[in-house]
Amino acid sequence: MRQVGCALGLAALVAAGPLGAQTMRTYGASRPVADAQPPLRTTLEFGAGRVVVRAGADDALYDVGLRYDADRYTPLHRYDPRTGILQLGLKTVGGTGLRVTSRGQLEQVARFAFAPTVPIILQAHLGASEAVLDLGGLTLVELVVRSGVTRGTVDFSSPTRGDCREALFSVGAAELVAMRLANAGCAEVRVEGGVGRAVLDFTGSWRRNTRLTAELSMGTLTLRIPRGTGVRVTADRFLTRFDLDDFARTGNTWSTPDFAGATRTLSVALTTNVAGVEGEWGDRGAVAEGEGRTRKPATRKTAGFVVFRPSPLALRDVAIRSPAASPPPLRRVRRSDRRSR
Amino acid sequence: MPRAGNRAPLLALLALILVAPLPVRADSAAINTGELTDRVRELLPFLGSPSAPLLPQVVQASAQGGPSVDPSRLDAPERLEIELRSALREPIGETRLTVIDGIARIGHYSLGSAERHRGHVVVLKGDAEVHGQLEGNLVTLDGDIIIHPGARVTGDVLALGGKVRDPAGGITGSRQEIAAFTPVRAPAPWPAVVARRGAGLLGVFLTMLVLGFGMVTFGRPNLEIVSDTVTHSFGRSFLAGVIGQVLVLPTFGMLVVGLFLTVAGALLIPFAVVVYALLAIVAVLGGGLAVAHAMGETITRRRMARGLAVSPNSYRYVLTGLVAIAASWVAWVGFGWVPVAGTIAFLAAALGTWCVATAGFGAALLSRGGIREEFTGRLLPPAMMTDEYLWATPQLGVPAVKRPPKDSA
Repeated sequence: MRQVGCALGLAALVAAGPLGAQTMRTYGASRPVADAQPPLRTTLEFGAGRVVVRAGADDALYDVGLRYDADRYTPLHRYDPRTGILQLGLKTVGGTGLRVTSRGQLEQVARFAFAPTVPIILQAHLGASEAVLDLGGLTLVELVVRSGVTRGTVDFSSPTRGDCREALFSVGAAELVAMRLANAGCAEVRVEGGVGRAVLDFTGSWRRNTRLTAELSMGTLTLRIPRGTGVRVTADRFLTRFDLDDFARTGNTWSTPDFAGATRTLSVALTTNVAGVEGEWGDRGAVAEGEGRTRKPATRKTAGFVVFRPSPLALRDVAIRSPAASPPPLRRVRRSDRRSR
Repeated sequence: MPRAGNRAPLLALLALILVAPLPVRADSAAINTGELTDRVRELLPFLGSPSAPLLPQVVQASAQGGPSVDPSRLDAPERLEIELRSALREPIGETRLTVIDGIARIGHYSLGSAERHRGHVVVLKGDAEVHGQLEGNLVTLDGDIIIHPGARVTGDVLALGGKVRDPAGGITGSRQEIAAFTPVRAPAPWPAVVARRGAGLLGVFLTMLVLGFGMVTFGRPNLEIVSDTVTHSFGRSFLAGVIGQVLVLPTFGMLVVGLFLTVAGALLIPFAVVVYALLAIVAVLGGGLAVAHAMGETITRRRMARGLAVSPNSYRYVLTGLVAIAASWVAWVGFGWVPVAGTIAFLAAALGTWCVATAGFGAALLSRGGIREEFTGRLLPPAMMTDEYLWATPQLGVPAVKRPPKDSA
């Protein structure tokens, strides 16, 4: 018995070690804006840690600061001044051993800043990192954000410059919150959801009508739309109940009564499979303070349903008073109702 | 003769300690001896400044197949750093390096304001200062890059283990800087933590046991008197211990001042300091062992009262008491790595040990180190305090039968 105990103890020791020591390094890179600066086609790679992206100084094309685990990652910095193709971030070097994630000492941190005046096509591959992207003020042409398994926030704190063609948010098993999307002025917003959760907040300064395409597998999509926005929803769904009582329905299309005459419109194309979609109405520009990172939006069990209803708790300063002035609250439809139809 | 199986836990413990992982940098190639020396000097500045700055010199090109770097692309700074560090030789003057489309320098490098250089520049173990025009990339290893106002670098710059200072914006390309390695000690796995703390507890326990047995062997009467003082006057002992702890330093100060005021006594201050410190240590340690003795005696007599045949002697008392005290630390050893529970276990064990030490210290003070028996509460001469008496007789004595009045006879 005693020998068995000793063997177990040694086995536990062998299983637990040996540990490799993590070596944290800091890295910085920057580049001034050239006289004939081409648009910046940027790819950010940051697999693990905390990452912050924002607009920087006018004269710095990009400015990067990294703190990383040198045993497992190495800085990635490639720039072609002729084409404007830029790759930044970290790439793995195939380090092995047990990763000890002590937040105080071993957390990887990345800070990216880009020149607001240079048109930028930004692709951010965030992996398992916890990201905060404040893209307000940038000259955003196109945006792709791919998030893996953690939480990310994309915020447009101020209106962007130029015309944004498209913003794509791909959510794996993560939670992605896109705030003040209207400030981005993107003609099209696409969401590809796996089993994660995406919150799209369309408040902000509207510059153009927007088309939203959402393809959800088993995730949850929450839409926050300013009051007075004309909304038309086209749904192609499987095992997903969708019912909007006071919307005008034509086949698989639901529209708000004022859609044709609305000054700003949002066209939503939903392709869902066992997914949940929630809609929340709020005043134009109303955004909850600290939304996305610290405050979890009101959650509802929506698997198998599409629920489009006002949520007075979701946004601060949201007023849902008159059903006539705003899209009416919608009711959750049970499966028995679905059969009766 | 112990059985072989009895040694197995000890062997396992030793193996655990020996194999317990100490963080070791895997990528040792990136840090050479010189860098380690520099780090030690940084940590211990009193060792003196590092050796004199390197004399600026040209690095000769290496032979065919020797070290070679291509600084035209600085996309992989860490790889370039490894290549450069592996090219360094000791002494540094023997370093050979081929720089494709460029030159290499050792030590401080400066490009004058009237100078123009075309091609890449690699500077090893020194700063690079640019006052003039540099058309190419600039790389430093363990040195800063300083671009002075009016200077211009038409290319990229990279400082490996250094900083880039370009206040006037003279760099047209990208600027990169990568700090030196900062090793971070990884937290040990919990089995190693438990093993290390267990070994520490075992070591302290064995040390105290040896001291306790020594006191039993050479100072048993004093130990027993202090122990009995704790048993019979625990409250007073604890209070005296608290007060004694508060007054230790003031008393020491008064002693030193008093000796200083007397001209002859000033000569005794060094000896007084040593003696005072030793007395304080002996009082705390001896008092703690006396408390252990008292605890062990109580436990042993309770076991004897239940009919267990154990040998009542002071060695057993000390051993039993120390085991009881160590038991309070076992919870911390086992679960100290748990975030909240570990802290609670540590505080509880520390508080209990402090109480034991305080009571023992106070008992040692009250009994004057086991000289005064009055505080022991002994009402009988020591010769009568046999184990049989203490075991068979209630501690508070036997109530006497009231003598019948004489006239009744």
